[in-house]
Amino acid sequence: MKATVSLPLLSATNVDAGYGHVRVLESVSIDVRQGRIVVLVGRNGAGKSTLLRALSGLNRPTAGKVTFDGRDITTARPNAIVDAGLLHVAEGRRLFRRQSVADNIELGRYALRLTEQEHDRRVDRIHQLFPILQEKMNLPAGSLSGGQQQMLAIAQAMMREPKLLMLDEPSLGLAPVLVDQVFAAILALRAQGVAILLVEQLVEHALEIADDAYVMQNGRVIASGPAAEIAAGDALQAAFMGEHGAPHHPEPRQSGS
Amino acid sequence: MDIDVLAHGIVAGSLYALVAVSFNILYRPTNVFNFAQGELVMLGAMIFASLTSLAGMPWLVAFAGTLVAVGCIGLVEERIAVAPILARSQTGTGWVITTLATSLIISNLVGRFWGPDPILVKPPALLSMDSLDIGASRISSYEIALVLVTLVLVAIVERVYRTLKGKAVMAVAEDREAALLRGIDPGSLGRWSFFLGAAFAAMTGVLAAPILYASTSLGPDLLLKGFAAAAVGSIGNNRGALIAGYVIGVTEAVGASLLSPGYQEAVIFIVVLAVLLLKPEGLFGSPNARTV
Ligand SMILES: Nc1ncnc2c1ncn2[C@@H]1O[C@H](COP(=O)(O)OP(=O)(O)OP(=O)(O)O)[C@@H](O)[C@H]1O
Ligand SMILES: [Mg+2]
Repeated sequence: MKATVSLPLLSATNVDAGYGHVRVLESVSIDVRQGRIVVLVGRNGAGKSTLLRALSGLNRPTAGKVTFDGRDITTARPNAIVDAGLLHVAEGRRLFRRQSVADNIELGRYALRLTEQEHDRRVDRIHQLFPILQEKMNLPAGSLSGGQQQMLAIAQAMMREPKLLMLDEPSLGLAPVLVDQVFAAILALRAQGVAILLVEQLVEHALEIADDAYVMQNGRVIASGPAAEIAAGDALQAAFMGEHGAPHHPEPRQSGS
Repeated sequence: MDIDVLAHGIVAGSLYALVAVSFNILYRPTNVFNFAQGELVMLGAMIFASLTSLAGMPWLVAFAGTLVAVGCIGLVEERIAVAPILARSQTGTGWVITTLATSLIISNLVGRFWGPDPILVKPPALLSMDSLDIGASRISSYEIALVLVTLVLVAIVERVYRTLKGKAVMAVAEDREAALLRGIDPGSLGRWSFFLGAAFAAMTGVLAAPILYASTSLGPDLLLKGFAAAAVGSIGNNRGALIAGYVIGVTEAVGASLLSPGYQEAVIFIVVLAVLLLKPEGLFGSPNARTV
């Protein structure tokens, strides 16, 4: 329960994970410290999403250890991990598209006992950060634009006041002005003390706002360190084969916008 | 059309709709069709008949006891026949076999316990199966009550799905993984849904008993027509199930009044097939169609 200050909030050590018999991650270790923005970069298929899925319990690690807030969560079930305060906003804005924006936000606090005041305070916070959602509360989530859907996905997680929020490509398919809004929201969350683990294809932009960075390639971490050092180092070029900083999305994917 | 034929079609259709709703309750969070559902309806009728007609228990006590007992059987089925299959693969269809096997096991065990004779079950106090003389119709007060109770039950079930737990069930139906990431435990919702879906099936059996008699052969017929109502009304859609239940009940009643008995089943299947060929997802769209 009581995490010593010096200990990282999240610590993955030598984690192997994958899909069924397909191993994707090989001995991946990362740390996320309290209140920091940590960015995870690497080209398509490097294993970034798989790592987030392993941390949130969707793909149970086959080796290694994950601790969060002083607890071993290596084999914990996803709902227990969520209860511990580790929230994962998955790739592709996985909302409940048929249900209203308000219902999606309510589902964000599922099984959580909140006083009415506390509940309203959290909803107010969401509306402050994403005023547009307040206007759309009664519309189906599926009718929102891509940027609004991303905001709603983050809003759902905010209902639990996470200690660590993992965001998988929140900027994917968004217009630049919306990307700025999402990045601003990430900074605002850090200001509230939330640690962020961010997977981004907008590498330069992400490294600018990040404190720490990890570079992944073929299911391994090939470099890590302060974001500024990573931005200036060689590993990034190596990972992207010279196409430093370019957004890598050769194949169009579902954007929901 | 003869008003009496129509009335009896609606009565039968209400029962089919209730079976269809019980299917839907179970289906929503699990994507599983419980092929033992017909036998759960039968168990509801038989247990209730034994508790009232044979053991002389008061109506309400027997009603509650029956629902809890069959609900628990549903839960056991989920644990033994469904959860292990889904644990291996969420998209596997092994449950077709295991729920059919459950159905066979129940119907065999029941045959040993009760024997083939139907048991007469009286309607609860104040209601009776004697026909009232309203115009040309020969419908009874119990049958009228059954039609009304069905409407109320469907409304209640729909109301439950507007609570946060109900919305979580719909969330699981739409995107199970996304639900997991919001701290929703689909396993727990699945267990609850099996308990409640089985209890709802048992209640359908209790409600059907005064009309159809409680008999061990009740299962297959109600399974088939309830399933047809669920499919025609769009799987997962309870209001659709209600209307489809009426359509099937009335079709059957009209068929029976015009054709010789052997053909009435055929008429139902022609209607069901025609609908499903034209609209495979049923008449009322599917609120649960997967998008991911
Ligand atoms: N459901 C799956 N089943 C089997 N293999 C998968 C599955 N999803 C991803 N993979 C494989 O795992 C590897 C890593 O994929 P992952 O999605 O983690 O990469 P990523 O770094 O997130 O890439 P992107 O930038 O495209 O999102 C890839 O080789 C991919 O083919
Ligand atoms: Mg990815």
